[in-house]
Formats: sequence, structure tokens, C-alpha cells
Amino acid sequence: MVELHGITKRFPGVVANKDIELTVDKGTIHAIVGENGAGKSTLMKILYGVQQPDEGTIMVDGNELRLRTPSDAIAAGIGMVFQHFQLADNFTVLENVVLGAEGLHGIGDSARDTIRELSDGYGLGIDPEALVADLGVGARQRIEILKVLYRGARIIILDEPTAVLVPQEVSELFDNLRGLTAEGFTVIFISHKLDEVLQVADAITVIRRGTTVAEVDPKRVTARQLAELMVGTELPSAHTEQSTVTDTPVLTIEATSLDNPFGGPRLLDGIDLTIHTGEIVGIAGVEGNGQAELVEVIMGMREPSAGRILLGELDTSTWQTREIREAGIGYIPEDRHRHGLLLESPLWENVVLGHQTEPTYRTGPGRWLINSSAAKKETQQIVVQYDVRTPSIDVTSGSLSGGNQQKLIIGREMRRNPRVLVAAHPTRGVDVGAQAAIWGHIRDARRNGLGVLLISADLDELVGLSDTIRVILRGRIVGQFNPDTVTREELGAAMTGAVADDARADPKEQGH
Amino acid sequence: MSTRFDARRILRAIAAPVLAVVVAVVVTSLILAAANDPVGQVWSVILSPPKPRVVAAIINAATVYYLSAVAVAIGFKMNLFNIGVDGQYRIAAFFAALVAGQGWLPGPLNVLLGLAVAVLTGGIWAAVAGILKVWRGVSEVISTIMLNAIATFLVALLLRKAALEPGGSNIVQTKPIPESSRVPGFPLIPGSSREIYGLVILAILVGIAYWFVLNKTRFGFDLRATGASETAAVASGVNVGRMVAVSMIISGGVAGLVGMPLLFGQDYSYGSTFQPGLGFAGIAIALLGRNHPVGIAFAALLWSFLDQQSNALQIQAGVSDKLVLVIQGVIVLSVVIAYEIVRRANVRLEQRRVAARLAAEAGTPLQGARA
Amino acid sequence: MRHATQVAAIVAAAALGLAACGSSDTPSSGGTADGTQPAAAGDKPLMVGMAYDVGGRGDQSFNDAAAKGLDKAKAELGVKGQDAAATNGEPESAREERLQQLIDAGYDNIVAVGFAYAPAVKKVAAAEKDVKFALVDSTDAQGPNIENITFAENEGSFLVGAAAALKTKTNHIGFIGGVETPLIKKFEVGYIAGAKKVDPDLKIDVKYLTQPPDFSGFSSVDKGKAAAEGMYQQGADIVYHAAGGSGGGVFQAAKAAGKWAIGVDSDQALTADAAVRDVILTSMIKRVDIGVFDFISSVKDGTFTPGEKVFDLKAGGVDFSTTGGHVDDIKGKLDDFKQQIISGEIKVPSA
Repeated sequence: MVELHGITKRFPGVVANKDIELTVDKGTIHAIVGENGAGKSTLMKILYGVQQPDEGTIMVDGNELRLRTPSDAIAAGIGMVFQHFQLADNFTVLENVVLGAEGLHGIGDSARDTIRELSDGYGLGIDPEALVADLGVGARQRIEILKVLYRGARIIILDEPTAVLVPQEVSELFDNLRGLTAEGFTVIFISHKLDEVLQVADAITVIRRGTTVAEVDPKRVTARQLAELMVGTELPSAHTEQSTVTDTPVLTIEATSLDNPFGGPRLLDGIDLTIHTGEIVGIAGVEGNGQAELVEVIMGMREPSAGRILLGELDTSTWQTREIREAGIGYIPEDRHRHGLLLESPLWENVVLGHQTEPTYRTGPGRWLINSSAAKKETQQIVVQYDVRTPSIDVTSGSLSGGNQQKLIIGREMRRNPRVLVAAHPTRGVDVGAQAAIWGHIRDARRNGLGVLLISADLDELVGLSDTIRVILRGRIVGQFNPDTVTREELGAAMTGAVADDARADPKEQGH
Repeated sequence: MSTRFDARRILRAIAAPVLAVVVAVVVTSLILAAANDPVGQVWSVILSPPKPRVVAAIINAATVYYLSAVAVAIGFKMNLFNIGVDGQYRIAAFFAALVAGQGWLPGPLNVLLGLAVAVLTGGIWAAVAGILKVWRGVSEVISTIMLNAIATFLVALLLRKAALEPGGSNIVQTKPIPESSRVPGFPLIPGSSREIYGLVILAILVGIAYWFVLNKTRFGFDLRATGASETAAVASGVNVGRMVAVSMIISGGVAGLVGMPLLFGQDYSYGSTFQPGLGFAGIAIALLGRNHPVGIAFAALLWSFLDQQSNALQIQAGVSDKLVLVIQGVIVLSVVIAYEIVRRANVRLEQRRVAARLAAEAGTPLQGARA
Repeated sequence: MRHATQVAAIVAAAALGLAACGSSDTPSSGGTADGTQPAAAGDKPLMVGMAYDVGGRGDQSFNDAAAKGLDKAKAELGVKGQDAAATNGEPESAREERLQQLIDAGYDNIVAVGFAYAPAVKKVAAAEKDVKFALVDSTDAQGPNIENITFAENEGSFLVGAAAALKTKTNHIGFIGGVETPLIKKFEVGYIAGAKKVDPDLKIDVKYLTQPPDFSGFSSVDKGKAAAEGMYQQGADIVYHAAGGSGGGVFQAAKAAGKWAIGVDSDQALTADAAVRDVILTSMIKRVDIGVFDFISSVKDGTFTPGEKVFDLKAGGVDFSTTGGHVDDIKGKLDDFKQQIISGEIKVPSA
């Protein structure tokens, strides 16, 4: 049993946690829900020993603990699975698991056996010899869980574990978690996806503005009630209103393929896709089925092996990324930390990023110079218009919360009035408030004639925003769905290839 | 608000090197004590104000170090490790000396020709590594080390071919550049007959250009973006391959200038006593100066100051000349470690402060939901 | 990525620092710190400042030979001496500064050991007209207060070359030069001439450790060792080094291979590490000590004359050593060669 009483944590000028009361029973899944910035992360960092509370006590099984470092937490049987996986791609599962815990079972056969035992025992289905680079997101998450188990944790904290998973993977994860609690493990599950929370949790604690506002029983509460507890306001909806789709194609992808440079099946195989002005085309698919490659081909980061890509009438297949951006394709990358931002640079430089050649940001003879004052002015406007919460435009982008980083990126792209927006997981890892705002901005731009390619793992988002949904599987478009009528199960089946000849799939769009 | 941010930032920027120097002093003292050397005397010698003559020597040596460190820093800003500055400056100085020694052009024009040849040679030599990296993915660390060795042998070979008849002399050198093309020094330091290299101006110009290009131009923006996050730079449309090649060539071009103050202000020819090892000192100085044009200037002066104190240490304190090398090494290590510590602390502090200020300002944290 | 680069940079910087320290495994100057105090007025002794080449006192070779001359002068003439050594890769101004600081500290007779000091001596001597300079191994700086001490290294090398040729069992010998300069070439040329005089078909490997302006070849034990190991593996059984401090590595390699090495500058069978002395067949003695002592005593008795003084075989400036008795059996032949050189019967090439 984990008990937190009166936990208070002050940062200079702000109270991040105040009088937190939390009781988690052994062998249960306990969800903690709350807006981003509500104090969930701070609370979890306290429980994982990353930060120390100013007041309050932490008790595990009746013993009061002082957790000064994560090692203390691990020693007390508390483990944490972070939202961003901490795995080395070019290492095997075994190597990743033993890394930093070499003292437990060595790095050889004994470690391998232990991993197999844990994997089999809890149905994680992990091969210790597999290379992490070859594994999908779901499997990587299970490795993270395995790492925690390997280190002897009995209490497992998962931070937004479903943010990166497709529905099938989510239900597998939940099965795994239930299996663990049946064995006596305790799971603390942080999320803001209320449907999932209601589905899996045995108990739910709601955090708002740094303090615990309620503990509720999932059987007796609706998603809407939970949302109101959480945000104190109406839950935003992703639904797009009136159709604004026109007949004018703005981005046409014709029979485009991409060979695998290392051999094997093509990464993209004969993709045909047309986006019209005012249209949002959603791409559904299990991660790693060609979405990233599709984006890279459109953005000119890779050149297609066959086929062509037309922006309006212009063939951009062989263009450089910069030319493509200049021609009016905005880009919201999947991983904003790696592809979207310079985390240690100030906001205004991040606003210039991707638009270095934009006339607004250039000055001087030959326009060789960056016009920093214009960029700062522009940044100021983005901050206001897109509600980026920051004390100043001189802070680094890395110091903003995820939602505000994403709003900055959206603003940066939208302010340049693109003809097409390629948006990969635009609301991944952002809080409900920012999510609603981002959806709003995408809808506004669509009304103004923007064509959007929306790639998302969040089916609510896809269904709510898209005018049409395509499913991508092994580099091919394998289905076309109407978001108004499609069900999650149908999408899920198409994504996994379970029902290749789904009745509603458009035969024209099927792979060959 | 933002000025206070900046004041703090400057304070922290200074905190790291100060901390590092203190650590270096402590570690060195321990080493001295362990070796039974006179600790107090060593420090009093090192810290005694240098004579005007020595001040001039310090500034001169720092001028050369500065150019070398800027060449290295250009690479560092791009995440390129140009170890090849050493080879680049030597081969460039050789060809510049060879061409300028012919005296084809009169007076100052000949100097400009020499500088142009040096930049070109350094650039071409570095381009080999840049192109290998872009085309074949060869690490620039490996290729520039190889190119250093090749440069050494190539210069040795060509020097023997091009050199004046050595006769009984032990010094092999190119034909000295004509008197009219020697760059006069500035008698800047009162009380010293030693003049400051005229080409100290070149170093200052290079420093200003480095700062300007890096911080004000589109090219500099692309370069810094690539260094900060190659993936983000690629997504933003930066042609990273081209940037690698171009910045390597620029780094090599600046490396080519390293030997120029020596060539036109002191040695007047390239020969077997031309100062070696400047490229490696440049790596340490760039690290020490945090790749910042002003930071590098201070680092170069500190480095050169320590160099010059080596003689006094031997003659006045009676300790090994190698002690200065130890101090320099310890300073670089502690500086790099201190910077990393301070950098991480900064990131955390800034995140915390942003969160704090937002929480303090925000009446409701849910404003965004209404958008 | 960022961090990888940083780490690589740190490691490289550290390695450079270590490499610099690695060449200083011998104390270079502390021994004469007592000389810093100028003596009381009245019986003011002759003050001699020694500016050594890279490696400094304790290199068991060139610099040590010079130091020996100073030590002799200290003992016999009662002079006060002070040592200062060069560091690798130092700027030209550091050499000037070394001379200047010695002068400032009252040492008004300066011995600059090594040709690298030529430009510095030229400059400082012009300004300090009351100070007398001796410049070893170079005639590039001349002046009314400069004596140029040079040696006929080719003649001495001829003798050890002949010794190697007489002693080799594999008809295969080697030469390792520290830095490929005309001076070291002179050693090589003499050595080869001596060897070929004995056996024109002899196989001779030649290797230089570094190329100018990189002078680390005179102070890199590791480089010397690697080069000598290579030669021994190729079948050479005697290797002559003219590589200053790097010679220590040559001796180590000889010891490990069970082969011979030939020392240089000093009688290295007396000065090298005790563990490797028994592999030193003979040494080409370059009596820098005689040159240095000669200079000091000429100043002392007022007979100083500027200009070049060549210390050749005839003048006893170069010779071969017999310590250890390894060349006793061929000593007669070597002495014949010696006489023929002195008489001019054999002309030893110098380049």
C-alpha cells in the first residue's frame, strides 16, 4: 500500500503540489488524472525520488520513506516507466535491460534467463536478443516495464503510457497491467485520456492545480463528470463542423514508392493520395508502417524511388526540403524535440527555424541577414495569437511545457500561411487545453482553404478532424473510411491487416 | 524582466570558468605539494605581473592561438571536430610563404596574396575531410588526423624541394618574403621593445566576422541550428551535407590564417622552426572559451600567459617546465566539466523559473481550453 | 551527438596534455634551483645560464651532454649556473623570453643548446651586447658576442657506422633520426659512409620519427621504441639512433629483441637507464660538454672569440665510446679509420 499525506512542494514563487493526499491499495491500478501542469509530474517525481517534498510523508506498506534519489525509490520497490522511452536503439533488449543494473544478474545467461522468466510470467512477449531498433512502440514500452520489473519494483508508475499506442496496443497494455496487479503488483497510471482511465483503473485520483480534488470510483463516474473534475470546464471535442472540401487538389501523391536502402520490402509502395484545398486527410496506422517515410518524402527529406508528388501543378519530388517549405508546405513534426525545436535556443529563433529563407525574417544587402527584430515581433504575435504560455520570448523553447511548445510550432507554421500542412501527431503529449486550441487552429486554417495531411495515433483526433481517413499498412494505403460512419474496431482491424477486404474499404485504394 | 534574465545568465556564464580555474589551482597545488615543489612560490611566480616585454609576447602568442581556436570553434558550432586545424595551418603557411616569398606583387598586395593563398590552401585541405564526410560518411575526426599526418609529410617533402640551399645551416626554410611585404608591428606596449604583430588586426577581424556570421546571418543560423539539433535542422530545410562541407571549408580557411601573423610578422619564411602544435592548442582554447568570440579571446590570453610563465617557473621557482602543461590540462578538463554542470543547472533553473512565473501569473491555468 | 563531440574533444584535449607529460618522465631542471640566488657582491662568480632544447636536463643525451659541461665548469671554475628547458610547440617568443629572463636574473653568459635557438639568439644578442652567447649546433646567428659551437657529427657517425658494419651478423643495420633536419641528416650520412666503407653491400634501414616543424621526434620514447622494434623485426641487429630522448625507446626495443643499439651524443652506456645499458654497443660521443666548458673557460680567462668553432674528430669534439668493452675486438680497426679521417685520408661526406 502506498500512502502520500500532505505532500507539498514549492518551487521559487509557486506551489507545484499542495496537501496531496493519495492512497493506493496494493494490487490495484490507480489512475491519476489531471491537466498537464496540474502537478502530476511533480508528484510522480517526488514518489520516484527525483525531487523531495517540502512537507508531507510517503509511506509504503506502513513504513515511512525518505526518497532522496531514484535509487532510493528503486530500493523501496518503486519503478517508473517514462513517457519518453529511455532505450538505446542499437542495443539489444538484454543490453538495454541490464544497462545500469549489471549488478543484479550480471550481463550474461543469468540476466537473459531472468528476462525470459519475467517476459513469460507477465505475458510481455519480449525476446531478450531482439534489437530495440527493430521493435515497435508497444514492444518498447513493454521493455520499459520489463526494466522496472527486472530491478525488483513492486510499485510501477506509468506516465502517459498510452499516448504512443494504437488501440490494440492499448488493450494489450491493459491486459499486461491487469496481469501484473493479479500478481500483487501495484500500478500507478497517469493519464488524461479519460475513456482509458475509466476502462482500466480500479481507483482514480483527480489532481487540479497542484492538489488532489477527489478520489472517485470508476464504476460510478462518467467521462464527462471526470473531465469536469479535472478541468472544471467543458471537455473539448475534436469534431469538425461543416465540410469545406473543394475539388481543387493542392497536394497530389502519385504512385509514390520508397525503396528500403537496406533491402527488404519497400517502405512506401505505390501510394496514391490527393488532398484538396479545405480538406483534412487523416492517416491511420500502426506506427512504423510508413507514416514517417510518407512525411519525409513529402517534405523532401528523402527522395521517392518512384512516382511523383505535386504541390498544385508543381512536381516537387526531387526538391530539397527548403524549396518545398518555401513553396508553402507547413510541417508539424512527429517528434517536436528532435525535429521541431532547438531546445536550447530562444523562442524567436525557434520561430525562424524552418523559415530561414522567409522574406519577413531576412534583411540587409542580398537578404543574407536574419532580421531578429522582425522575428521577435512575429514571435510576440504568435505567443499572443496562439496562446503560448511563456514569461518572455527570450526563454529557451526547452523550458516550455509540451503543449506550449506545440502551440509555438503550430503558430510558426500557420503564420506563414501554408497551402498544405503536414501534421504528424499534432497533439501528442499535450494537455487537453492545448489540444483543443490546436484542433481549433487546424480547423480555422481548413476553413481558409488549407489542405491538411493529418497523421495521428489518436483515433478520436483522426475521426473528429478528418474529412476522410486512409489506413496505411506496410507502406501501402489499404483502406479509405468515412470518419462519420467508421468505428474504432473497423479502423483497428484495417490498421492491423486483420480484415484486409473490409466491406467499406474502397477497392481503388487497396494495395496492389 | 529580460535584463535581469541576462544579468543572471552572464553571472552564470562567468561562474563556470571561475569555478574551473579555482579547481585547477587546487588540483595543481596538490600535485605540487605531492612532488615536494614550493607551492607558494610557484603561485607567486605565476601570478606576478608580467613585464611589458612579456605582455607583448603574451598578446602575440594569443593572437595566433585565437585564430586557431576560432577555426576549431567553427567546427564545434556544427558538431564537427576539426582536429585537422594543425595540418591545415601548416600546409597553408607553407604555401603562403612559398608564394609570398616570390614577391610577385609589390608590398601590401603581396601580403594579401599570401593571405589568400593561405585561406585557399587551408580550405582545400579541410574540404577533403568535409567531402569525405558528406559523400562517404567518414568521420572527420579520423580523416583530419590522417590529413594532419599527410600534411606533415607533404610539407616536409616540398620544403626540401622548395627550400633555399640549406648549406651548413640546420634550418630549412622557404625563401624569405621581401622586406616590403613584411607587416610591421605595433609598439603598443609601453616599456617593451617587442611589438605586437600587425596581423593582430586580422585576428580581431576574424573574431568579429565569426560573431557576425554566426549570429546575424542566415548561414550562421543554419550552422547553429545544425549544431544544436541536426534532426531539427534537416526538418527545417537545412541541407546538412552542404553545411558540413561548407563549414569544414570555412574552418580550414580560418585555420589557414593561423600561421599568418608568424609568417608576416616574425619568421618571414616557413621553415623547420615554424611553431608547431597550434591546432591542438586551438582545440583546448576553443573548449575553454566556449566557442564564444570573446570567451576565446580570454582563453587564448590565459593560455598564452601560462605558456610564458613557464620560463619564469623554471628560472625563479625552480620547478619543471612541464608544470604549465599540467595546469593547462587541468584547467581544460575542469572547465569542460564545470560548463556541463552549469549548463544542466541552467536548463533546469530556466524550466523552473518559466513554470514558476507562469503559475504566478496565471489566474487560471485553463485559459487555453477556451480557445 | 552534441555530447559525443564534446566527449571526443575532452578526450583529445586530455590526451594531448598527457602526451605532453609523457615526454617529461625525467625531472628537467629542479636540480639547480640553488643557482637562482645571485652570489654576494665581492667574489661574484661567473654567471652561466643554460637554455636547453626540448627534453632539457635529464634527456640522457644531447642536453645532458651540455649540462655535463656546465657541471664541470661549476666544479672547476666555480661558476653559477641556471637551467631552463624548452617545451614542445612553444612560440618563438618563449625561446627569446627564456634567454631574456636568464639575463634578467643576472646570468650574463648564455649557452643556447640547439639550433632552434638561432633566431632567438640573433635577436637577443643584438640587444644585449654585454652578454656573451654560445649557440650550439648552429651558425645561423652570428655576431660579435656569439660563439657558434658546431661538431663534425658525420665523422663520429662514420666510426660507429664502421663499428656496426663490423659487428653485424645479419648484414643488416638501422638508423633512427629524431627529426629529419639537415643536422640529423649529417649523422645519417656519416653513419652510412662508415658502414659502407666496411661492407658496401650492407643493408641499412633509415627512419625519421617526425618531420619539422614537429620536433617531438627528439622526445618521444614511444616513437623511438616503435621504430626500432620495426627494424629489429625486419632483421636489423644493430640500430644507431640520433633521436635525443627518443633513444630511450630504441634501447628498450633492443633489450626486448636481444639486439644491439648505438647511443648518441653522450656515452650512453653510462647515462642511459641502468636496465638497458648492456645493449649499447658503443656511442657516438659528441662532446657538447667540451664545447660548453670551452666557452665558459674562454669567458672566464678573457679569451672569448666570436664565430664558429668546429669540434671535429681531430679536436676531440666527436668520438666513439668503449664502455662495456663490446667493441674491444674491433677497436684497432676503428682507431685506424679515426687516424685516416684525422689525417684527411678519408673524407667523410656531410650531406
